[in-house]
Amino acid sequence: MDWSALLRNYPYAVSLVLFGLGIHTVLARPNLLIKLIGLNIMQCGVFLFLVATGNLAGARPPIIDPAQPNGVYANPLPTALILTGIVVSVSVTAFALGLIVQVHRMYGTIDPTAIVAAYRQQKGAAE
Amino acid sequence: MNGLADNLPVLPVILLLLSAYLMPTIARFRPRWCAPLATFATGCSTLGAVALAARVLLTGQPVEYSVGGWNPPWGIGLRIGYPEVFMLLVLNGVCVAILAYTIADISHELPPKAVGWYYTIFLLLLAAMSGIVMAHDLFNLYVFMEVSGIAACALVCAKGSRESVVAALKYLFLAAIGSGFVLFAIGMLYLLTGQLNVGYAAAELAQVWSAYPRVLWVVISFFIVGFGVKSALFPLHVWLPDAHASAPSPSSAILSGLVVKVYAFALIRLFCTVLAEPLALSGMREEVRFILLAMAVMAIVGGSLFALVQSDVKRLLAYSTVAQIGYIFLGFGLGTRTAVTAALLHVLFHALMKSGLFLSAGAIALRTGARSVAGYDGMGRRMPLSMGVFTVCALSMIGLPGFSGLITKWYLGSAIIAAGYPLLLLVLVASTLLNTLYYLPVLGRAYQGPAAERAVEAPAAMLVPMLVLGGLTILFGFWPSLPLALAGKAARVLIP
Repeated sequence: MDWSALLRNYPYAVSLVLFGLGIHTVLARPNLLIKLIGLNIMQCGVFLFLVATGNLAGARPPIIDPAQPNGVYANPLPTALILTGIVVSVSVTAFALGLIVQVHRMYGTIDPTAIVAAYRQQKGAAE
Repeated sequence: MNGLADNLPVLPVILLLLSAYLMPTIARFRPRWCAPLATFATGCSTLGAVALAARVLLTGQPVEYSVGGWNPPWGIGLRIGYPEVFMLLVLNGVCVAILAYTIADISHELPPKAVGWYYTIFLLLLAAMSGIVMAHDLFNLYVFMEVSGIAACALVCAKGSRESVVAALKYLFLAAIGSGFVLFAIGMLYLLTGQLNVGYAAAELAQVWSAYPRVLWVVISFFIVGFGVKSALFPLHVWLPDAHASAPSPSSAILSGLVVKVYAFALIRLFCTVLAEPLALSGMREEVRFILLAMAVMAIVGGSLFALVQSDVKRLLAYSTVAQIGYIFLGFGLGTRTAVTAALLHVLFHALMKSGLFLSAGAIALRTGARSVAGYDGMGRRMPLSMGVFTVCALSMIGLPGFSGLITKWYLGSAIIAAGYPLLLLVLVASTLLNTLYYLPVLGRAYQGPAAERAVEAPAAMLVPMLVLGGLTILFGFWPSLPLALAGKAARVLIP
């Protein structure tokens, strides 16, 4: 395998690492707020990947220079897409934060295992 | 690009979005008007879907539409052929029945303050699902997926009860992970092809795929994981039972009946368009088929086994959905024309049956407070009509002759034999037995259990939509030719 290609395209490798770290945090950490931060890290990994696809070696910002009309320009489309992606991610985060506040109000904790235990206890008491 | 007829594809979605954001204002001044108006708006969008269906049927060509007049590959394209028309009719039609049910039910389910927002979310969810179905642009697909993901979570926690808030949070996390995977895969497709329009990306990918076999595998597996989480394919189904069981009944009906299938449909349409040629030429199709079939078999058996041990009726129905999603993926996984026809038919029939089951369970819980299987004692005499709808839909789930559930099982069975996987027939038989095992105790208690005093039947406004759903389940069991013809045409488009 050609490792130099990976080194040259290091943003892709970094984005994968962020993606993996984020997923691990969401699934494994026992705190809803930390899970939410993990979700954001994961989404940042995806965004980094998409933005990196727009970059080219030696490319300039995509503003046409009359002196050099045929120069190499970076692709602005992925950046524009990621703006939408960030908006989506912010709204998911806001909604999740609202729900976490509600969970804390109802259960007095944001530890998922404690929440499940409290829920089981309450259900047992009801029966 | 002027006139109503030219803009037909976007009009239903725009109408739904507009009425969605009008709902809180209407609720502020005339709270009782929300439900009828939402039903009316959905009825209009159903008419739009019918008009689209008529146009596609008359011309025999898919309707292409460029949003804002910007043509692909620059603008966002919509494309509505037979498969999309089929899904749009199912989505809008079933939603009309569910919304009509809420006219009398919503004041019992939610606090008055939440009613207007509930319809906002409901209509947003329907608009987003229509968008997913019609999108002919990869990024547009992602955006609509996120809208429908957030709206679905909000529908779960609309009641604000202790269980539903935790269930919605779990759903939100997993749905966000799922769409993260999908967006990553879309990014890789964009990296390979430089196109977001499905048609152009497919043409480009057909040229370049052989140079990037590993990337293609990552794309395919990310799509399977992402859409698998969203459509609750078996090992990835963990969010579904909590979310669907703790939501208000109309929410459970739309979530279980429609939302999960839209993602299954989106996955298969990607496999049949963008990834069709690489899958067919590289021999990956066999392996993808094996993965989908293995997950479908696990879903059918696992979902049914979990349903067997549930004591809460809504949880039982939720696990039954996990199993039924397996049927749909079984059909899509086999990938022959008959199998895809059966899978699409099951999308329709299961939407009718499952929303009928959830709505009648909701009516029963409203009048008698019964939520557990044990509470259904003598229900056949206490609420004969609601329990009648429940019985019809449950028998159809089992697959008795004369109900629509049998039709899909029949077509799936013949597709399995034609495709040469006879062992899968055993799964079909085992699943039928398991369905019988977990639905019959409920029915047995309802009709054999000790008789109690007769309860008040649900109000007519709730009964009519339920009876329509139950009636269609029987009607399509005897005369399946209309949905069968449309699903057959749709399958011919997907599997050329």
